Amino acid sequence: MQRISVTERPDLASAAAEHELVYIPGEGISGWDESAYYQFTARQIEKDIEGPAEEIEDLCFQVVDRAVNNEEVLGRLGIPEHYWNFIAESWRNGDKNLYGRMDLSYDGKQPIKLLEYNADTPTTLYESAVFQWEWLEQAIELKLIPEECDQLNDVHERIVETLPQLGIETLSHFACNPDIEDDKGTLNYLEECAREAGLETCFLGMEDIGLNDQGQFTDLEDRVITTLIKLYPWEWIMDEEFGQHVPSSGVRFIEPPWKAILSNKGLLPLLWGMFEGHPNLLPAFFEDDPAGTEFTGTGSYVRKPIWSRQGANIKIVQDGKTLYQSDGPYGNDAHILQGFQPLPEFDGGYPLLGCWMVASKVVGLCIREDKTLVTSKDARVVPHVILD
Amino acid sequence: MMSWKSVPVVLTMSVSLIALTACEEPKVDASIYESIEQCKRDPIVSDDQCESSFKEARSQHAAVAPKYSTAEDCQADFGAGKCEVAPYKSSSGGSIFMPLMAGYMMGSLLGGRRSMMSQPLYRSAQSPNSFRTAENRNVGSKTGRTTVAKSATSRPTFKSSTRSRGGFGSSGRRFGSGAT
Repeated sequence: MQRISVTERPDLASAAAEHELVYIPGEGISGWDESAYYQFTARQIEKDIEGPAEEIEDLCFQVVDRAVNNEEVLGRLGIPEHYWNFIAESWRNGDKNLYGRMDLSYDGKQPIKLLEYNADTPTTLYESAVFQWEWLEQAIELKLIPEECDQLNDVHERIVETLPQLGIETLSHFACNPDIEDDKGTLNYLEECAREAGLETCFLGMEDIGLNDQGQFTDLEDRVITTLIKLYPWEWIMDEEFGQHVPSSGVRFIEPPWKAILSNKGLLPLLWGMFEGHPNLLPAFFEDDPAGTEFTGTGSYVRKPIWSRQGANIKIVQDGKTLYQSDGPYGNDAHILQGFQPLPEFDGGYPLLGCWMVASKVVGLCIREDKTLVTSKDARVVPHVILD
Repeated sequence: MMSWKSVPVVLTMSVSLIALTACEEPKVDASIYESIEQCKRDPIVSDDQCESSFKEARSQHAAVAPKYSTAEDCQADFGAGKCEVAPYKSSSGGSIFMPLMAGYMMGSLLGGRRSMMSQPLYRSAQSPNSFRTAENRNVGSKTGRTTVAKSATSRPTFKSSTRSRGGFGSSGRRFGSGAT
């Protein structure tokens, strides 16, 4: 695995404008860095990343299968009792999932380690699917990189192919917090994919969703919502005023309710509990478990809230010393402890591999690089190639 | 331009013609009638088709018409005397109100999948001369054969009156991005 410096394409401002990304003069495209790329061999991609990621997906499904029948576990994950049956039913009915992004630590040599699974509302979809591919094509054309270069990137095609297989027959509503540009951008891209796939769609803000006398959700034209593709976390929905009406609303959700078990960092101790010692897993415990207390005693661990996002509220301790601590609003939730596997460092950057799953198959890779061990909002996507 | 000769049994009054006019979306042929009687007076449509299309529109009407929890709210949008009680009650046992059906629209689909699709039409208080679909698309004031925006012919959706809004979104306002 190499990090190779490369010339940027000329006129990034235009490229950004064309793709509705933000360009900052003097800094470049926000959230993107093409002054370098990561290079993997085909063998690394297939043997070290694809195979293990799909195996992790299978382990995760085994966790869900056990968790939906276990009230103690569901309570541990902070899921309200009102949702237990709803989540169990969605799993037993085989409610289909669309996509997710596994965050992995990998240095090209050691087996990948799952750091967490962004199974509900993964970001950087557009950069991973479209912008990264365009970089590859243009970089080859401009002879910035060898023409034999390939990329682990089938994201767009697979999303368009999978959307019609979800069983949606009527209008699909797409909803998010419309004030967050990033969230809206990802959702707009998904909506475009849905239209390309022949689905009828419309967009609204989460706050625009209404409730009728039959306990169904409605849009701004009072149409009953039957399918909701949301870029809005399950844990927020479960907690909000309308959340109590969700289980009886009759809505098909993407991502489905059972994904709430995977997007929760409580997944990690559950995985370790069932598959202790697996080469692609790090030790993990609930903080208030005796095993958790014991683990804290080793002096090296990462402490994470079960529902934090984008690197907030993370604490890294090594040999008894706090190496890193980030702020954030998520400190009131339950916490887990995970074994500390530092991200590798390449030229001052710490790359986190985001492995994209669509319909539970590996379809893409996106590398997010930060200047610190914890990947935050300041991380930038650095493109990758496959070259033998 | 394709056209079919008039044949009594097969409905041919609507030729699938899409005309793109500058700065407008594609239009398709459709036929609009205020009543079965008016439809029957049009020689291009068979009496049977007038009746079956009316029945189809009527059967959708209760589901797709805009809904209100008071007669006053309904009349504010559709005019005095232009509303009726919906055939089902709210979960609290109260009546639900909807506008009277003011007419119906028939259109043919490209590709001959179904020869006819019919839906109910309404007239609002603000523009009583035009017909509107249940999706609030204006399809003009002309009866008989006419052309309408293609998107206005898509199947109307189930409507119900919204009791409250804004019960989602508070976490987003507190935490910001919901993405991970």
